[in-house]
Amino acid sequence: MRNITKLLIGVFLMFAFASCEDFLDEPKPTDSLTADAIFSSTEGVDAYLSGIYRNIRGQYEYSPDVATTDVGGIYSMYFARTIKGSDLIQNSWYNFDYAHENREPTYRRVRVTWQFLYDLINHANTLIEGVENGDLADSEKAEYIAHGKALRAFFYFQLALEYQLSYAVDPSAPAPPIYEKVELEPKGMSTLEEMYTLIVSDINDAIAGLPDTRLNKSYINQKVAQGLKARILMAMNQDWDQVEAAAKAAYGGNPATALNAAEYLQGFDDINASEWIWGMNQQADQSNYYYVAPHAFTDHYNDAYYGTYVDANFVDQFSETDVRNLFANFYDANPGDYDEYVTSKFVFSFEADIPLMRTAEMILIEAEALYHQNRPGEAHDLLFVLQSNRDENAVKSSATGTALLEEILLERRKEMYGENGIEWFDAKRLQRGISRSSNHRVVVNLTPNDKRFYLKVPQTEIDSNPNIDASVNDGR
Amino acid sequence: MLLNFKIISMKKIALLLAIFAIGLQSVFAQTREITGTVTSAEDGLSIPGVSVSVKGTTLGTITDLDGYYVINVPQDASTLVFSFVGMRTVEQPITSSTLNVSLQQEMVGVDEVIVVAYGTKTKRALTGAVTSVGADVLENQTAVSPLRAIQGSAPGVNVVTSGGQPGENPTIRIRGIGSVNASADPLIVVDGVVFSGNLNSISSNQIESINVLKDASASALYGSRAANGVLLITTKGGTYGAKEAKISVNAKAGFSNPAVDIYDLVSAEDFMKYSWESLRNTGIYTNGLAEADAASYATNNLISSLRYNPYSVSNPVGTDGNIVSGAELMWDTDWHKEMTDENAFFNEYTLSAQGGADNVSYFITGNYLNQDGSVIESNFERYSGRANISTKLKEWLELSTNNSFSKSLQNYPNQAGTSYTSSLQWVYSIANVYPLYARDAQGNLKLDAAGQPIYDYGNAGGGQSVNAVRPQLGGENAVSSNLINDILYTRTNLNSASSLKFQLYKDLSFKTTYGYERYLFDAYEYDHYKYGAAASVNGRVSQERTVTETASWTNALNFNKTVSDHNINADVIFETFDYKYDYLNAQATGYLPNVKVISGSTVPESVGGYLTQERLTSYLARADYNYKSKYYIDFSFRRDASTRFAKENRWGNFFSVGGSWIISDEGFLQSSGSSDISLLKLRSSYGELGNNRGIGYFPYLGVYETGWNNNDNTGVLQGGVVDPDITWEKSSMFNVALDYAFFNNRINGSFEYYNKKSIDLLFDKPLAPSLGDTFVSTNIGTIRNSGFEFILNTVNVHTTDIYWTSSFNISTNKNEILKLPQDEIINGTKKWMVGKSIYDFFIREYAGVNPSNGNAMWYADDENGGKTVTEVYGDATQYYQGSSLPDVTGGLSSYFKYKGFDLNIMFNYSFGGKIYDYSYAGLMNSLESAGSQLAADIANRWQKPGDITDVPKLINSNNDYNATSTRFLFDNDYVRLKALTIGYNLPETLIERVDLDKVRIFLQADNLWTYQSHKGIDPEQNLAGTTDNRSYIMKTISFGVNIDL
Repeated sequence: MRNITKLLIGVFLMFAFASCEDFLDEPKPTDSLTADAIFSSTEGVDAYLSGIYRNIRGQYEYSPDVATTDVGGIYSMYFARTIKGSDLIQNSWYNFDYAHENREPTYRRVRVTWQFLYDLINHANTLIEGVENGDLADSEKAEYIAHGKALRAFFYFQLALEYQLSYAVDPSAPAPPIYEKVELEPKGMSTLEEMYTLIVSDINDAIAGLPDTRLNKSYINQKVAQGLKARILMAMNQDWDQVEAAAKAAYGGNPATALNAAEYLQGFDDINASEWIWGMNQQADQSNYYYVAPHAFTDHYNDAYYGTYVDANFVDQFSETDVRNLFANFYDANPGDYDEYVTSKFVFSFEADIPLMRTAEMILIEAEALYHQNRPGEAHDLLFVLQSNRDENAVKSSATGTALLEEILLERRKEMYGENGIEWFDAKRLQRGISRSSNHRVVVNLTPNDKRFYLKVPQTEIDSNPNIDASVNDGR
Repeated sequence: MLLNFKIISMKKIALLLAIFAIGLQSVFAQTREITGTVTSAEDGLSIPGVSVSVKGTTLGTITDLDGYYVINVPQDASTLVFSFVGMRTVEQPITSSTLNVSLQQEMVGVDEVIVVAYGTKTKRALTGAVTSVGADVLENQTAVSPLRAIQGSAPGVNVVTSGGQPGENPTIRIRGIGSVNASADPLIVVDGVVFSGNLNSISSNQIESINVLKDASASALYGSRAANGVLLITTKGGTYGAKEAKISVNAKAGFSNPAVDIYDLVSAEDFMKYSWESLRNTGIYTNGLAEADAASYATNNLISSLRYNPYSVSNPVGTDGNIVSGAELMWDTDWHKEMTDENAFFNEYTLSAQGGADNVSYFITGNYLNQDGSVIESNFERYSGRANISTKLKEWLELSTNNSFSKSLQNYPNQAGTSYTSSLQWVYSIANVYPLYARDAQGNLKLDAAGQPIYDYGNAGGGQSVNAVRPQLGGENAVSSNLINDILYTRTNLNSASSLKFQLYKDLSFKTTYGYERYLFDAYEYDHYKYGAAASVNGRVSQERTVTETASWTNALNFNKTVSDHNINADVIFETFDYKYDYLNAQATGYLPNVKVISGSTVPESVGGYLTQERLTSYLARADYNYKSKYYIDFSFRRDASTRFAKENRWGNFFSVGGSWIISDEGFLQSSGSSDISLLKLRSSYGELGNNRGIGYFPYLGVYETGWNNNDNTGVLQGGVVDPDITWEKSSMFNVALDYAFFNNRINGSFEYYNKKSIDLLFDKPLAPSLGDTFVSTNIGTIRNSGFEFILNTVNVHTTDIYWTSSFNISTNKNEILKLPQDEIINGTKKWMVGKSIYDFFIREYAGVNPSNGNAMWYADDENGGKTVTEVYGDATQYYQGSSLPDVTGGLSSYFKYKGFDLNIMFNYSFGGKIYDYSYAGLMNSLESAGSQLAADIANRWQKPGDITDVPKLINSNNDYNATSTRFLFDNDYVRLKALTIGYNLPETLIERVDLDKVRIFLQADNLWTYQSHKGIDPEQNLAGTTDNRSYIMKTISFGVNIDL
């Protein structure tokens, strides 16, 4: 007995004091990595870039417990712009955006767009800093930093569009805060001037540093960066020569080979379409399911929300032989009913890809840039290349002067409705209003530079940022 | 003696000598006769049926009708044991051949030994707050999860069962809500080992007691996991030296139905009329039409608005708002009836053996249970078994091993939430005018190739104009989905706790315990290949499988010594705990009919898997001291290291001190001759405990998370900002109580006060979203919970034939926020602010209906500090409107026994809480969105100027009438007859003939009757007092039989 006792007490004490910390050090997270592991190899940085792109197109969770269908990834920001126009009519999710009501400091669109873009900006800054301080070769670093800047330019450009009027209205107008690196202390508001200076500088650096190769068509390469530059400068309503050059570089410069009318009938769901310069590629195991706009809303033939209709006045703009005339009175509605027309432009499925930039847009940007440079003949010719591609019976108009500009702008809507809010973008940058016909469920007319063209600053920012107080929304 | 030697053969002398050396006395089998009478100490009447046995043997008898007994005992027998139900067992030394014994009523049981943290104690020695719920309470309830059975029996414990799916565990909060963002659940310990599985795997019949440790003194030995209280579950064991095994066979079967009625809903005909009215009102009030024009507008647009027509004519409602003559109703779907089964079947069978021999004791049982839920396809089926065996290997060494295995299958159709297949949401949302089966534009049934009707999913394509596209929950049919989809949870649970106890010296023992648990949870879902959400991808199967493995090793050294009046008990314990959570999932689409396994898929959708591990290393110490069993003091300490925190922060110290004073043992009370006082005991404790659960496994690490792949490219994403110094939440607890017993224990109970302050609570500290992260979780909040608990037990009648007892308990809890990261945080319908509780509603106040236009109105602050009313919801002011937490909760029970009959009833109650009823709000919609189901109460709507009512008008236009306001905030008081059992024990004279010990038949009813201040939903919803389309808790009436042999 005695010996047993001693033995047991000895064993007990041994286990009590030996190798305790080792036992505790052993558990480690198995599904995550540290920063060192990311920025020490091109595979690691590619993985982080891929993660950022996935976040751009994902179902963004703006709060741990809330996720709703109308605030998914970048596509839902674009679709909210789309249904703020007059061409489409909404009766589903996005109804608040459709009614131009979704702009108060506590509202979902206001909070999520801000948070989503700043989250992505923070990732772009983390990427740039991580690469700068990492172990890659200088040439590799330069390319990744250019990529980071392209993303950052894209995100800040969206912020500038969403939270202030057009640049041309007042470059000194307050714009959201600018962070060029990862920061811990929040900053105050910037100006549109400062923000566009950064955007232009970033996109120029990106074009200089990015190759044309890429992991797949959902990543930004030099062509996409050129296309973004064209959009950015036209939003600023300046440097039309650079707009022309950038747009041309983006689609390749040969409009005849850049267009393929047959693709217009294929459902806008395949990133491999030759007209797509940039898109988001969904696959069965990486689907946003029913979140994906516009497909889940405009498609009335495949089961989803059946939520978006087309204004008959817009339908009337399409000739019978236009390949883009994809409208039908699906519900046998009466003339003038909001649900009279639906479009089959976008085919919904869980694997539907999302277009972000197409050659047709770039051709139309080039045409507009030519027009603004007093080269109407070239502009008109280029416009007709597109028109005759879309409609074999197209007849070149006799429009001149502003009528020609109007024709280009209408062509932009006809070509790109549903994709990225082209009508809203044009009305905003050209300081026009948006008028809705009586066919609409909610008839709201925006005057030029209407406050409803931009959002207020979210209350969450005001509450937590000592450099921004509630007066930021005075007059907004 | 010499005589005996002579008759034994010489050959056996050697053996005899050996035995002699072990125990001289036991050799001699000579017996003597003891006789006597057993009486009640209270009234002196004799007691028949008292069990009289010789201690340490299987010898025994029972007293006759006059309380008289005769027993032959061995010469060496020293003690007789007298036991009888409701009486305190007496061990009487054999001092003469006549032993008359009087038995005391057993009520308080101060000498009763109960299980506490890492050991046992007598109730007398307790300084902490422990409530013990015994097998008697569990046996009288049909609780699939044993946790539900403690509701109403343990003051200070709030038990809320959310929904009627069989097999679900309730939410339990001990003494208020001690955490907001981390886990506020109590720690669960089964047979001394922390339990990580699902408690629905343990059948109630296995459980000896569930002890609730509520204060610091009782739970401090669980240290960093004990701040929210501890539930100690002890399973049954055998008895060393039992006379004979007790074999029990129990069978029970019955039927279940929802415990309360659903709201009255409207018929298809009424719904058509109401819909017409809503359109007419839109014509008048939105479009400014004249009344007659509005009426014809409504008549002409009704079907295109509802998009379905259950009548045989194209415009079934005339301009007078009534059904036109000749219109024939083709369907009137009672969705609730379609969605639920009446008289859901329940049955349960148990077989167990309990007993022991000199050096071994055992309890072995097997149980089968099958319970249907009221929602169609809802079911829980369980097989469970347990073997608890203890054996004395040596005089100084005892081996105990408790092992259980269980497997359960749970069919779990969606019974909460807002997914399209959510069963009750469907009933609350879809009007009777929508058909169960698909119809063509003329209303004829569409049939499939086999001639069978097809469920209507409300998304018929092909441009069918009517009866095709349902405006509510289109593309789904939850009745059909419940039938053709599968949601099946399979759980297997293996639990083992084995210990070796070494008696090192007389006063010193060492016990080593190894606990192992393996819990496999498989969640399988199949979405149909042809109908519903996955029809477009030809069906979907998703399957998750998690293996939870826990190993704990406890080494305890115990010292226990009594020197004259001083009693000392001390423990030193070392413990390690290792928890592994191994997750794997796969999801894929594209299936042939009847193929429902992942292998049959064509397109993989997602796969995932990871391993999470947590460890804990702990040193524990406890010292108890008492003087003359009258003054008690104890001290507990635990030092924990948890892998959930950074290396430099992982160690923490937790402790408690407690004391008690048996006032009734003092001379001044005894000498006053006040025999009316049986017990007065004052006890108090203070301690500081922690909570490390529910805050993630590596909350201090900032990492890049995997799983963000972009097409074929591996993706990671930076996971957001973290506080590297994050640590456990802490609670300081104070407790003081008076235990009392009067009139020979016929009245007894306790009165208790607690004050629990929880600090360093985890909150999300908001960051400016422009920094890229919106919050960082850090230890920043403080909450206080305080309250009173009162228990009163009485023996009302105790005679030879009648035994009647009652028990009442009541408890209060006040929850108060003391510190927050912001001045105020809006959390759904609540607003957190210092001084308020975390469950105080903060919503707009409904001001009724404007009699002139039928609009809803709300109150708003005006500029002069007064209140005004507004019809604009956004202009209305939000006010605090009371709390969802009840002011008082408790229970009332009574046991009545007359000869062979017994009756047991138990009520639980809750008063003072509020509930916000989203479901009712939905059912009182104004038909703003066409086709949404209505409650019958909509009959009280405003119809014309001048109407005085609080239900606004029906109108098919945007409005906020049923937006969140006090219009749908209700008092949620309830009393529930939770358990009612009527039993009859067949007379022994009858059953002895067939050689049985006991035959009992009984009728048992669970949740038979409910009083509730707000009807239509079950009063138990959740702690926050909000509804979520939950199915109804069931009442179960069953018949059973217990046979002991």
